[in-house]
Amino acid sequence: MSALALSNAVLWILVLLLSAVVLALVRQVGVLHERIAPAGALMLNRGLTVGSPAPVLEVADLDGRSHQVGSARGDGRSTLLLFVSPTCPVCKTLLPALRSSRSDERAWLDVILASDGDGAEQREFVRAQQLEGIPYVVSAALGLAYQVSRLPFAALLDEQGILRARGLVNSREHLESLFEAKRLGVASLQEYFSGAL
Amino acid sequence: MIDPTISALLAGCFALLFLSAASHKLLQPVAFAATFVAYRILPARLASLSRCVPLLEGVVGVSLLSGAARPAAAAAGALLLALYAGVVALNLQRGRRDLACGCGGPNDRRPIAAWMVWRNLILALLLALLWLPVGSRSLHAVDALTIGAGSAVASLLYMSLEGLLARVAPRVALLRGAA
Repeated sequence: MSALALSNAVLWILVLLLSAVVLALVRQVGVLHERIAPAGALMLNRGLTVGSPAPVLEVADLDGRSHQVGSARGDGRSTLLLFVSPTCPVCKTLLPALRSSRSDERAWLDVILASDGDGAEQREFVRAQQLEGIPYVVSAALGLAYQVSRLPFAALLDEQGILRARGLVNSREHLESLFEAKRLGVASLQEYFSGAL
Repeated sequence: MIDPTISALLAGCFALLFLSAASHKLLQPVAFAATFVAYRILPARLASLSRCVPLLEGVVGVSLLSGAARPAAAAAGALLLALYAGVVALNLQRGRRDLACGCGGPNDRRPIAAWMVWRNLILALLLALLWLPVGSRSLHAVDALTIGAGSAVASLLYMSLEGLLARVAPRVALLRGAA
Protein backbone atom coordinates (compact mmCIF):
# COMPACT_ATOMS: atom_id res chain seq x y z
CA MET A 1 0.00 0.00 0.00
CA SER A 2 1.47 3.34 -0.97
CA ALA A 3 1.82 6.12 1.58
CA LEU A 4 -1.00 8.09 -0.05
CA ALA A 5 -3.42 5.18 0.03
CA LEU A 6 -2.58 4.54 3.67
CA SER A 7 -3.09 8.17 4.57
CA ASN A 8 -6.39 8.11 2.69
CA ALA A 9 -7.56 5.05 4.62
CA VAL A 10 -6.61 6.57 7.97
CA LEU A 11 -8.40 9.79 7.06
CA TRP A 12 -11.57 7.92 6.11
CA ILE A 13 -11.57 6.11 9.44
CA LEU A 14 -11.17 9.40 11.30
CA VAL A 15 -13.90 11.11 9.25
CA LEU A 16 -16.22 8.18 9.94
CA LEU A 17 -15.58 8.47 13.68
CA LEU A 18 -16.05 12.22 13.53
CA SER A 19 -19.40 11.88 11.75
CA ALA A 20 -20.59 9.37 14.34
CA VAL A 21 -19.63 11.82 17.09
CA VAL A 22 -21.49 14.65 15.32
CA LEU A 23 -24.62 12.51 15.07
CA ALA A 24 -24.39 11.58 18.76
CA LEU A 25 -23.98 15.26 19.68
CA VAL A 26 -26.99 16.27 17.59
CA ARG A 27 -29.08 13.64 19.39
CA GLN A 28 -27.83 14.95 22.75
CA VAL A 29 -28.71 18.52 21.85
CA GLY A 30 -32.20 17.36 20.91
CA VAL A 31 -32.59 15.55 24.24
CA LEU A 32 -31.30 18.59 26.15
CA HIS A 33 -33.80 20.84 24.42
CA GLU A 34 -36.56 18.54 25.63
CA ARG A 35 -35.15 18.44 29.14
CA ILE A 36 -34.94 22.21 29.58
CA ALA A 37 -38.55 22.60 28.38
CA PRO A 38 -39.19 26.12 29.67
CA ALA A 39 -42.95 25.79 29.90
CA GLY A 40 -45.75 26.51 32.30
CA ALA A 41 -46.53 24.24 35.19
CA LEU A 42 -48.66 21.14 34.72
CA MET A 43 -52.23 22.32 34.21
CA LEU A 44 -54.83 20.26 35.98
CA ASN A 45 -58.20 21.34 34.71
CA ARG A 46 -59.67 23.49 32.02
CA GLY A 47 -61.87 26.45 32.77
CA LEU A 48 -59.91 29.64 33.12
CA THR A 49 -57.96 30.02 29.93
CA VAL A 50 -54.46 31.34 29.81
CA GLY A 51 -54.28 34.43 27.62
CA SER A 52 -57.70 35.79 28.62
CA PRO A 53 -58.46 38.32 31.37
CA ALA A 54 -58.23 36.96 34.91
CA PRO A 55 -61.15 37.25 37.37
CA VAL A 56 -61.03 40.62 39.14
CA LEU A 57 -61.51 40.61 42.93
CA GLU A 58 -60.88 43.09 45.66
CA VAL A 59 -59.34 41.40 48.67
CA ALA A 60 -57.73 42.55 51.92
CA ASP A 61 -54.49 41.12 53.32
CA LEU A 62 -53.77 40.32 56.98
CA ASP A 63 -52.45 43.84 57.52
CA GLY A 64 -55.76 45.27 56.31
CA ARG A 65 -54.45 46.68 53.01
CA SER A 66 -56.76 46.25 50.04
CA HIS A 67 -55.54 44.60 46.78
CA GLN A 68 -57.23 44.71 43.40
CA VAL A 69 -56.35 41.27 42.10
CA GLY A 70 -56.78 40.73 38.35
CA SER A 71 -57.29 44.34 37.26
CA ALA A 72 -54.99 46.11 34.81
CA ARG A 73 -52.14 47.88 36.57
CA GLY A 74 -50.84 51.30 35.71
CA ASP A 75 -47.29 50.66 36.93
CA GLY A 76 -46.55 47.89 34.39
CA ARG A 77 -45.86 45.25 37.03
CA SER A 78 -47.09 41.66 36.95
CA THR A 79 -48.60 39.75 39.85
CA LEU A 80 -47.90 36.23 41.03
CA LEU A 81 -50.73 34.76 43.08
CA LEU A 82 -49.55 31.79 45.11
CA PHE A 83 -52.21 29.80 46.91
CA VAL A 84 -50.85 28.13 50.06
CA SER A 85 -52.16 26.77 53.32
CA PRO A 86 -50.66 26.30 56.80
CA THR A 87 -51.65 22.62 56.61
CA CYS A 88 -49.89 21.91 53.30
CA PRO A 89 -46.35 20.52 53.76
CA VAL A 90 -45.28 21.08 50.14
CA CYS A 91 -46.18 24.78 50.51
CA LYS A 92 -43.60 25.12 53.30
CA THR A 93 -40.84 23.55 51.22
CA LEU A 94 -41.71 25.90 48.36
CA LEU A 95 -41.42 29.09 50.45
CA PRO A 96 -37.58 29.46 50.22
CA ALA A 97 -37.85 29.19 46.44
CA LEU A 98 -40.62 31.77 46.50
CA ARG A 99 -38.48 34.19 48.53
CA SER A 100 -35.52 33.93 46.17
CA SER A 101 -37.71 34.17 43.05
CA ARG A 102 -39.41 37.20 44.55
CA SER A 103 -36.12 38.98 45.03
CA ASP A 104 -34.75 37.85 41.63
CA GLU A 105 -37.84 39.01 39.76
CA ARG A 106 -38.63 42.07 41.88
CA ALA A 107 -38.04 44.38 38.91
CA TRP A 108 -41.31 43.35 37.31
CA LEU A 109 -43.16 41.08 39.72
CA ASP A 110 -45.27 41.48 42.86
CA VAL A 111 -46.07 38.39 44.89
CA ILE A 112 -49.35 37.88 46.75
CA LEU A 113 -49.86 34.82 48.93
CA ALA A 114 -53.42 33.62 49.23
CA SER A 115 -54.99 31.21 51.65
CA ASP A 116 -58.28 30.27 53.14
CA GLY A 117 -59.43 29.39 56.65
CA ASP A 118 -58.95 30.41 60.23
CA GLY A 119 -57.35 33.85 60.69
CA ALA A 120 -55.35 33.05 63.85
CA GLU A 121 -53.84 29.95 62.26
CA GLN A 122 -52.86 32.00 59.21
CA ARG A 123 -51.15 34.65 61.34
CA GLU A 124 -49.23 31.94 63.17
CA PHE A 125 -48.14 30.50 59.78
CA VAL A 126 -46.98 33.90 58.55
CA ARG A 127 -45.00 34.46 61.76
CA ALA A 128 -43.44 30.98 61.79
CA GLN A 129 -42.45 31.13 58.13
CA GLN A 130 -41.35 34.80 58.31
CA LEU A 131 -43.63 35.93 55.53
CA GLU A 132 -44.24 39.39 57.00
CA GLY A 133 -42.96 41.27 53.96
CA ILE A 134 -45.30 39.55 51.50
CA PRO A 135 -48.98 40.51 51.22
CA TYR A 136 -50.98 37.60 52.64
CA VAL A 137 -54.62 37.39 51.68
CA VAL A 138 -57.21 35.15 53.32
CA SER A 139 -60.15 34.74 50.97
CA ALA A 140 -62.21 31.72 49.98
CA ALA A 141 -63.66 33.67 47.04
CA LEU A 142 -60.21 34.16 45.49
CA GLY A 143 -59.48 30.42 45.50
CA LEU A 144 -62.86 29.68 43.96
CA ALA A 145 -62.45 32.36 41.28
CA TYR A 146 -59.08 30.99 40.20
CA GLN A 147 -60.35 27.39 40.36
CA VAL A 148 -57.68 26.25 42.75
CA SER A 149 -57.98 22.49 43.07
CA ARG A 150 -54.74 21.50 44.76
CA LEU A 151 -52.04 23.31 46.69
CA PRO A 152 -49.58 24.91 46.21
CA PHE A 153 -51.15 26.51 43.19
CA ALA A 154 -49.93 29.59 41.31
CA ALA A 155 -51.40 32.03 38.82
CA LEU A 156 -49.34 34.62 36.98
CA LEU A 157 -51.14 37.79 35.87
CA ASP A 158 -49.49 40.32 33.60
CA GLU A 159 -49.72 44.12 33.82
CA GLN A 160 -52.95 44.11 31.78
CA GLY A 161 -54.63 41.68 34.16
CA ILE A 162 -54.33 38.87 31.60
CA LEU A 163 -53.79 35.38 33.00
CA ARG A 164 -50.37 34.29 31.65
CA ALA A 165 -49.87 30.94 33.39
CA ARG A 166 -51.52 28.91 36.10
CA GLY A 167 -51.03 25.51 37.59
CA LEU A 168 -49.77 23.31 40.35
CA VAL A 169 -46.28 24.31 41.56
CA ASN A 170 -44.38 21.75 43.59
CA SER A 171 -40.84 22.93 43.12
CA ARG A 172 -38.60 25.84 42.25
CA GLU A 173 -38.53 24.58 38.64
CA HIS A 174 -42.32 24.72 38.44
CA LEU A 175 -42.34 28.21 39.88
CA GLU A 176 -39.70 29.48 37.48
CA SER A 177 -41.42 27.77 34.59
CA LEU A 178 -44.36 30.13 35.16
CA PHE A 179 -42.07 33.09 34.42
CA GLU A 180 -40.68 31.28 31.38
CA ALA A 181 -44.23 30.56 30.23
CA LYS A 182 -44.99 34.27 30.34
CA ARG A 183 -41.80 35.15 28.46
CA LEU A 184 -42.41 32.54 25.75
CA GLY A 185 -46.15 32.95 25.54
CA VAL A 186 -46.72 29.21 26.07
CA ALA A 187 -49.67 28.33 28.28
CA SER A 188 -48.67 25.00 29.79
CA LEU A 189 -46.34 22.04 29.78
CA GLN A 190 -48.81 20.13 27.62
CA GLU A 191 -48.99 22.92 25.05
CA TYR A 192 -45.18 23.21 24.84
CA PHE A 193 -44.75 19.52 24.11
CA SER A 194 -47.66 19.22 21.68
CA GLY A 195 -46.97 22.46 19.86
CA ALA A 196 -43.25 22.74 19.38
CA LEU A 197 -42.56 19.41 17.77
CA MET B 1 -18.26 12.99 -17.69
CA ILE B 2 -18.43 11.64 -14.15
CA ASP B 3 -15.79 9.51 -12.45
CA PRO B 4 -16.97 5.90 -11.86
CA THR B 5 -16.13 6.15 -8.15
CA ILE B 6 -18.22 9.30 -7.71
CA SER B 7 -21.05 7.68 -9.64
CA ALA B 8 -20.91 4.58 -7.44
CA LEU B 9 -20.71 6.71 -4.29
CA LEU B 10 -23.80 8.72 -5.27
CA ALA B 11 -25.65 5.55 -6.24
CA GLY B 12 -24.75 3.91 -2.94
CA CYS B 13 -25.96 6.87 -0.85
CA PHE B 14 -29.23 7.20 -2.74
CA ALA B 15 -29.81 3.43 -2.64
CA LEU B 16 -29.52 3.62 1.17
CA LEU B 17 -31.91 6.59 1.26
CA PHE B 18 -34.57 4.95 -0.93
CA LEU B 19 -34.31 1.52 0.69
CA SER B 20 -34.62 2.92 4.21
CA ALA B 21 -37.60 5.06 3.12
CA ALA B 22 -39.23 1.99 1.54
CA SER B 23 -38.63 -0.17 4.62
CA HIS B 24 -40.34 2.38 6.93
CA LYS B 25 -43.38 2.37 4.68
CA LEU B 26 -43.49 -1.39 4.15
CA LEU B 27 -43.22 -2.14 7.88
CA GLN B 28 -46.22 0.02 8.77
CA PRO B 29 -48.48 0.15 5.72
CA VAL B 30 -51.60 1.27 7.61
CA ALA B 31 -49.88 4.29 9.15
CA PHE B 32 -48.36 5.20 5.81
CA ALA B 33 -51.77 4.95 4.09
CA ALA B 34 -53.08 7.46 6.65
CA THR B 35 -50.19 9.84 5.88
CA PHE B 36 -50.74 9.33 2.16
CA VAL B 37 -54.42 10.33 2.46
CA ALA B 38 -53.58 13.21 4.84
CA TYR B 39 -51.58 14.93 2.10
CA ARG B 40 -54.94 15.34 0.26
CA ILE B 41 -53.53 14.89 -3.22
CA LEU B 42 -55.63 11.89 -4.21
CA PRO B 43 -59.16 11.09 -2.97
CA ALA B 44 -59.35 8.89 0.14
CA ARG B 45 -60.78 5.93 -1.76
CA LEU B 46 -57.45 5.62 -3.60
CA ALA B 47 -55.62 5.04 -0.29
CA SER B 48 -54.61 1.54 -1.44
CA LEU B 49 -52.39 3.23 -4.05
CA SER B 50 -50.10 4.10 -1.11
CA ARG B 51 -48.79 0.49 -1.34
CA CYS B 52 -47.17 1.36 -4.67
CA VAL B 53 -44.97 4.07 -3.14
CA PRO B 54 -42.62 1.81 -1.11
CA LEU B 55 -42.48 -0.65 -4.03
CA LEU B 56 -41.44 2.15 -6.34
CA GLU B 57 -38.84 3.37 -3.83
CA GLY B 58 -37.54 -0.16 -3.35
CA VAL B 59 -37.17 -0.72 -7.09
CA VAL B 60 -35.34 2.60 -7.46
CA GLY B 61 -33.05 1.73 -4.54
CA VAL B 62 -32.14 -1.71 -5.88
CA SER B 63 -31.71 -0.61 -9.50
CA LEU B 64 -29.35 2.20 -8.45
CA LEU B 65 -26.98 -0.54 -7.27
CA SER B 66 -26.95 -2.26 -10.65
CA GLY B 67 -24.73 -0.64 -13.26
CA ALA B 68 -26.93 -0.90 -16.34
CA ALA B 69 -30.23 0.31 -14.83
CA ARG B 70 -28.57 3.19 -12.97
CA PRO B 71 -29.45 6.13 -15.29
CA ALA B 72 -33.09 5.02 -15.52
CA ALA B 73 -33.30 4.48 -11.75
CA ALA B 74 -31.71 7.90 -11.19
CA ALA B 75 -34.32 9.50 -13.44
CA ALA B 76 -37.18 7.74 -11.61
CA GLY B 77 -35.68 8.61 -8.22
CA ALA B 78 -35.18 12.28 -9.11
CA LEU B 79 -38.78 12.44 -10.36
CA LEU B 80 -40.00 10.84 -7.13
CA LEU B 81 -38.01 13.34 -5.01
CA ALA B 82 -39.27 16.27 -7.08
CA LEU B 83 -42.82 14.93 -6.73
CA TYR B 84 -42.47 14.79 -2.92
CA ALA B 85 -41.12 18.35 -2.95
CA GLY B 86 -44.11 19.44 -5.01
CA VAL B 87 -46.61 17.69 -2.73
CA VAL B 88 -45.06 19.25 0.39
CA ALA B 89 -44.95 22.68 -1.28
CA LEU B 90 -48.60 22.37 -2.31
CA ASN B 91 -49.67 21.54 1.23
CA LEU B 92 -47.57 24.39 2.62
CA GLN B 93 -49.32 26.65 0.09
CA ARG B 94 -52.62 25.41 1.51
CA GLY B 95 -51.41 26.60 4.91
CA ARG B 96 -51.29 23.11 6.43
CA ARG B 97 -48.22 23.54 8.61
CA ASP B 98 -49.30 20.90 11.11
CA LEU B 99 -49.31 18.03 8.61
CA ALA B 100 -46.98 15.19 9.68
CA CYS B 101 -44.43 14.74 6.91
CA GLY B 102 -44.11 10.96 7.24
CA CYS B 103 -40.44 11.23 6.26
CA GLY B 104 -38.74 9.21 8.98
CA GLY B 105 -41.40 6.54 9.39
CA PRO B 106 -44.84 6.86 10.99
CA ASN B 107 -43.49 7.58 14.49
CA ASP B 108 -41.88 10.71 13.18
CA ARG B 109 -44.53 13.33 13.83
CA ARG B 110 -42.58 16.33 12.54
CA PRO B 111 -44.71 18.73 10.56
CA ILE B 112 -43.87 19.58 6.97
CA ALA B 113 -41.70 22.66 6.47
CA ALA B 114 -40.22 24.72 3.67
CA TRP B 115 -36.71 23.33 4.17
CA MET B 116 -38.01 19.89 3.22
CA VAL B 117 -38.93 21.19 -0.24
CA TRP B 118 -35.39 22.55 -0.73
CA ARG B 119 -33.85 19.38 0.67
CA ASN B 120 -35.76 17.23 -1.82
CA LEU B 121 -34.89 19.50 -4.74
CA ILE B 122 -31.19 19.44 -3.86
CA LEU B 123 -31.31 15.65 -3.52
CA ALA B 124 -33.05 15.38 -6.90
CA LEU B 125 -30.31 17.53 -8.51
CA LEU B 126 -27.59 15.36 -6.97
CA LEU B 127 -29.33 12.25 -8.22
CA ALA B 128 -29.57 13.77 -11.69
CA LEU B 129 -25.73 13.77 -11.80
CA LEU B 130 -26.02 10.03 -12.42
CA TRP B 131 -27.34 10.77 -15.94
CA LEU B 132 -23.90 11.99 -16.94
CA PRO B 133 -21.85 9.51 -18.94
CA VAL B 134 -19.52 7.52 -16.68
CA GLY B 135 -15.82 7.74 -17.44
CA SER B 136 -13.79 4.58 -17.87
CA ARG B 137 -10.82 3.97 -15.62
CA SER B 138 -9.68 0.93 -13.76
CA LEU B 139 -10.80 0.83 -10.11
CA HIS B 140 -8.44 0.08 -7.24
CA ALA B 141 -8.85 -0.97 -3.64
CA VAL B 142 -8.76 2.69 -2.55
CA ASP B 143 -11.86 3.30 -4.66
CA ALA B 144 -13.74 0.65 -2.69
CA LEU B 145 -12.73 2.49 0.47
CA THR B 146 -13.92 5.80 -0.98
CA ILE B 147 -17.28 4.31 -1.94
CA GLY B 148 -17.87 2.37 1.29
CA ALA B 149 -16.65 4.91 3.82
CA GLY B 150 -17.95 7.80 1.72
CA SER B 151 -21.53 6.52 1.74
CA ALA B 152 -21.35 5.74 5.46
CA VAL B 153 -20.10 9.26 6.25
CA ALA B 154 -22.68 10.84 3.94
CA SER B 155 -25.49 8.90 5.67
CA LEU B 156 -24.31 9.89 9.15
CA LEU B 157 -24.02 13.54 8.17
CA TYR B 158 -27.43 13.44 6.47
CA MET B 159 -28.98 12.10 9.67
CA SER B 160 -27.22 14.79 11.74
CA LEU B 161 -28.40 17.56 9.45
CA GLU B 162 -31.96 16.21 9.51
CA GLY B 163 -31.83 16.09 13.30
CA LEU B 164 -30.59 19.68 13.50
CA LEU B 165 -33.16 21.06 11.08
CA ALA B 166 -36.13 19.08 12.34
CA ARG B 167 -35.68 18.82 16.08
CA VAL B 168 -33.22 21.43 17.26
CA ALA B 169 -33.81 24.44 14.99
CA PRO B 170 -37.54 24.96 15.83
CA ARG B 171 -36.85 24.93 19.56
CA VAL B 172 -33.88 27.27 19.25
CA ALA B 173 -36.05 29.64 17.20
CA LEU B 174 -38.69 29.53 19.97
CA LEU B 175 -36.09 30.36 22.64
CA ARG B 176 -34.52 33.12 20.52
CA GLY B 177 -37.88 34.71 19.87
CA ALA B 178 -38.51 34.96 23.60
CA ALA B 179 -35.17 36.47 24.53
